Amino acid sequence: MPTDTKRVRGPEVSQSPSLFLCKNAVKKSTAANDARVDGRQRGQVDVRSVFVRCGLISQAKGSAYIEAGNTKLICCVYGPRETERKDETDMKSGRLITDMRFAPFSCRERGSWIQGSDEKDLSLMLLESLRPGVCLQKYPRSQIEVNVMVLENDGAVLAHAVTCASMALADAGIEMYDLVLGCSIRQEGATYLIDPTLLEENGYNLASGSRENLGSLTVAFLPSLNQISGLQSDGEMGEDTLTGDVRTCIEGCFKLYPVIQQALSKAVRRKAPPSES
Amino acid sequence: MATVQVSEAEKVYILHGVRDDLRVDGRGCEDYRHMEIETDMVSNTDGSAKVTLGHTDVLVGVKAEMGKPRPMVPDEGYLEFFVDCSANATPEFEGRGGDELGMELSNTLYKVFNNRYSVDLKSLCISPGDHCWVLYVDVLLLQCDGNLFDAISVAIKAALFNTKIPKVHISEDEEGGKEIELSDDPYDCMRLNVENVPCIVTLCKVGHRHVVDATLQEKACSVASLIISVTHKGTVTCVRKVGGGSLDPESIFEMTETGKRVGKALHAPLMELLQEEESLGKKRQKVGFLG
Repeated sequence: MPTDTKRVRGPEVSQSPSLFLCKNAVKKSTAANDARVDGRQRGQVDVRSVFVRCGLISQAKGSAYIEAGNTKLICCVYGPRETERKDETDMKSGRLITDMRFAPFSCRERGSWIQGSDEKDLSLMLLESLRPGVCLQKYPRSQIEVNVMVLENDGAVLAHAVTCASMALADAGIEMYDLVLGCSIRQEGATYLIDPTLLEENGYNLASGSRENLGSLTVAFLPSLNQISGLQSDGEMGEDTLTGDVRTCIEGCFKLYPVIQQALSKAVRRKAPPSES
Repeated sequence: MATVQVSEAEKVYILHGVRDDLRVDGRGCEDYRHMEIETDMVSNTDGSAKVTLGHTDVLVGVKAEMGKPRPMVPDEGYLEFFVDCSANATPEFEGRGGDELGMELSNTLYKVFNNRYSVDLKSLCISPGDHCWVLYVDVLLLQCDGNLFDAISVAIKAALFNTKIPKVHISEDEEGGKEIELSDDPYDCMRLNVENVPCIVTLCKVGHRHVVDATLQEKACSVASLIISVTHKGTVTCVRKVGGGSLDPESIFEMTETGKRVGKALHAPLMELLQEEESLGKKRQKVGFLG
């Protein structure tokens, strides 16, 4: 197991003071019909407005930055490069390598630089969500690297990472079938909260709804092809609620689509040489 | 995962068969292979189970240890999962080769059990804030023939059913320090209620239909699978799409429905079997590893 010998982490038994503050904040229970903390509505497809920009990192082949509420992510794409390992499958199609990391200051408690199992799991989910969208058979014997760095985690990180990564791939000029967009939803009893913030993701208020239906769902969707490339759910849900939530996430993705397309066309226009007239 | 190379002709054969609800070994699309379960195989653990599903062999051992509860939930114990892909299963797993698969399996297990009702965590508390039972669930893959998730989840349910956690008394001594006493009687133990422990069903999309309990050959013909974990009441605790392909939303809804139906039907016979095995007591014939 690699250990971090360069940084002084403090004694093992120390605890962050925020653990003791948290409990008071969560106790404030809100009724089921109240608006959410940031003014959005429950039970409606009210995704956070996003700010996206492509082409920020000059060294990378393609890059994108996304900001949704307080969640900030940056993604860069390198490739197509020659593969280091050459086995049979590489002769016919390329390989996509994803890596998702959290900056240590991104979450409420300081994380470590060494990739934990959560990050590996998210990287795997990101890979599975992006693979159907990329035309890998056009890049035999090559690998395309996608690196996502979460600068600030305020909920729905995987969903925004998928969107950011597909924008970065498009910015890098990698051939794709369609953009892959991600959307996250949190089910609490009878209502749902689309695109939850971190507090909404982790807390739950017992006042709303029955014992059933408390969970989160993340969907990665290809809008023009109407295909789901990634699906992950957590917590407990009835089957109908699950089906309803998947449909809601798809609606959320459709809402996001025009914004992403606009941002990409702006980026292409900026890169294109000025016309001579 | 261990993979087999399948030729184009074999793929077409499998696809056409599945289309007509007839798989290579004669099963229907929703049938499981022959499953054998045996509990209490490893005497050093607090609970153990071995499940053989076709040629997939999984051994689960549960050990209960006392630890400090998590700061956010001081009155609950917790479970820790670890999946080890042994090099016995395939040579690809030698050294660190099986780590990636093992990590994927453990992470999925954490998600499956990450809800309030699967295991009653409050019953694992000894003294709030100080001591609690931590159940280390260790899964060992002995043979790999497709459909690992299903076999692992059945084995975990059987092992948790079989787990005997010793009863513990906390007493205060003269200086106000707490002393933990284990009862002398080895049969004085607490059992877990595994009614709500979910079972995982893996559905592979082959052609236009989906199959339950796919063999390695069928897996090679499918681009995407859906893993769904279902409790005995039909509640879904975790859904996850795996594989490098994409799925139509309608297929996902169909697969969820099938998965829920198949998963729900799996629980009743399993509980019956476990209780029957338990009731045989000392008269039970132990089959062991060579059977």
